[in-house]
Amino acid sequence: MKVIINPKIFKLSFSKINLKPILYKNTVRFNVMKVIPIYIEAGISGFESPAAEYKELGLSLDQLLIRHPNATFIGQASGQSMQGVGIFDGDLLIVDRSLTARNGDVVVANYNGCFVCKLIDKKQARLLSASKEFAPVSIKPEDDFQLEGIVTRSIRLHHQAPELTACMH
Amino acid sequence: MYALVDAVSFYASAEKVFDPSIRNKPVVVLTNNDGCICAVCPIARRLGIPKFTPYFQVKSLLQKHGVVVRSSNYELYADLSERMMNVIARYCDNQYVYSIDESFLHFKNYGGIIKDWHQYGYEIRRAIWKETRLPVGVGFGITSTLAKAANHAAKKLAGYNGVAIIDNAQNAKIILQKMDVNEVWGVGRKISQRLKQQNIHTAQQLSMQNPKVVRKQFSVLTERTVNELNGVSCLTWDDIKEPKQEIFSTRSFGQRILDTHSLQAALTTHGAIVAKKVRQQSSLVKKLLIFASNSPHDEYFYKQAMVYKFPMATDNSCDIAKAISTVLTDIFMVGVKFYRCGVGAIELESRRFQQADLFCPDNANPILMNCLDTINNRYGQGTLTLAAERQSNSWQMKRHFLSPQYTSNWQDIPKIRC
Repeated sequence: MKVIINPKIFKLSFSKINLKPILYKNTVRFNVMKVIPIYIEAGISGFESPAAEYKELGLSLDQLLIRHPNATFIGQASGQSMQGVGIFDGDLLIVDRSLTARNGDVVVANYNGCFVCKLIDKKQARLLSASKEFAPVSIKPEDDFQLEGIVTRSIRLHHQAPELTACMH
Repeated sequence: MYALVDAVSFYASAEKVFDPSIRNKPVVVLTNNDGCICAVCPIARRLGIPKFTPYFQVKSLLQKHGVVVRSSNYELYADLSERMMNVIARYCDNQYVYSIDESFLHFKNYGGIIKDWHQYGYEIRRAIWKETRLPVGVGFGITSTLAKAANHAAKKLAGYNGVAIIDNAQNAKIILQKMDVNEVWGVGRKISQRLKQQNIHTAQQLSMQNPKVVRKQFSVLTERTVNELNGVSCLTWDDIKEPKQEIFSTRSFGQRILDTHSLQAALTTHGAIVAKKVRQQSSLVKKLLIFASNSPHDEYFYKQAMVYKFPMATDNSCDIAKAISTVLTDIFMVGVKFYRCGVGAIELESRRFQQADLFCPDNANPILMNCLDTINNRYGQGTLTLAAERQSNSWQMKRHFLSPQYTSNWQDIPKIRC
């Protein structure tokens, strides 16, 4: 049997002891009756798994890939024009709306009512492809254009995910 | 200082977030079964599209203006609402989510920290727009009623541009005298009619009334409203929401029901929804109300409601389904074209204080119910159902103009052209 006295509580209780004498049943007593909590551990137990305290260390892809969950959405790439930066048809794109685009970032934009993924050329107001087969697109004043967010990650599924099958076609 | 942040025609704005092709178009959203218009985006409002009108009445008007029509996509709205509320929460440590698209903030001891409330309001607006693509209005006031009034001004009155502040008598007067009394928070239709009979037409006029007299004529609630309009804070929100005392699930059908199987399927589905909500708040159903009716516009109105009292309060979906099948023959009538039905838990008990019964075994099956809820939460509602729910789906809600579930279903995530 193990008896553990918690030193913190022990000390605390003593510091609070009130040594004022009181009259009780015709005798003078000191009011020192304070209950000191003592934790007692008893019983039989096996060895605790040495891994138990490391259990919380599981890895979450969400945590790694999504910095700003409220401002982030997931889309799916469709087309060949971004292969130069490693974005292929069917890849998942993680788009963060809270970040501000720097020149040359991979962005998602609303270009004339359609979500597009391109490299942004801020100096010349152009959308660049990462492929020689696609020419740069200049953003003209009459175009409907809004930056939607920055592509912070792209994910390739080397094996098909059943949840996504309907949109792979 | 209080603030009220709410989205501009939330449902319609939510439809535009993941569909850039309709960002600059007029958009309206329809209620359940595509019955009425329940949200009109600002572009559609400028075309004079009226809110709360039946869809069939304005169908040709909508077509004429090329208005985009959508059914209510609750999955999308719930997700966007949560994101919006989380962004708002960054701006104050005391947030109260009032509805799907409205949130109060209470700034206690912020004097000196926030110098310029206007600036702060614009920051909130900008952040929500940037991160969620939802437009919001922000109203600040020294009471929650004044914050609500300022929010109204921010969105509806010219010259405010989305942010308004009521922090002294002058700017309170400017806003309140432009506000109809029925737009004051807490003043309903009936009270505003009576106020107008007494020549009280604007919020400003209401604020000039003697609170004690108002209390005598109306109620203590209206007295509080008058005090709140004068900058005396009387309303508080509960930090912890009380568990609901009644839980209902009811809806009108996509098409009329004539057979007993379809009615049972519909009632059992409502029963399963009620059971799930009951479990979520750790309650048990003691009494269940089960009802069905045709339309009140039909030649002979038929409505039948039954109360089923469980011998032992339960949260088991199967028990509720059994109760429904027991009373079904009493509710169903041959020849009646059923238009709506529903199930309501009208007497609830707390699971924690459940009274055991010596002669009646506890039917609770928490392992099965937990399994049911977990599967449905992970793979979507309706993945796993009771067999009785699947007998027929002809009663299902009409949602002909439903947009994809961009954020809650993998198959619906937005496509991005490369």
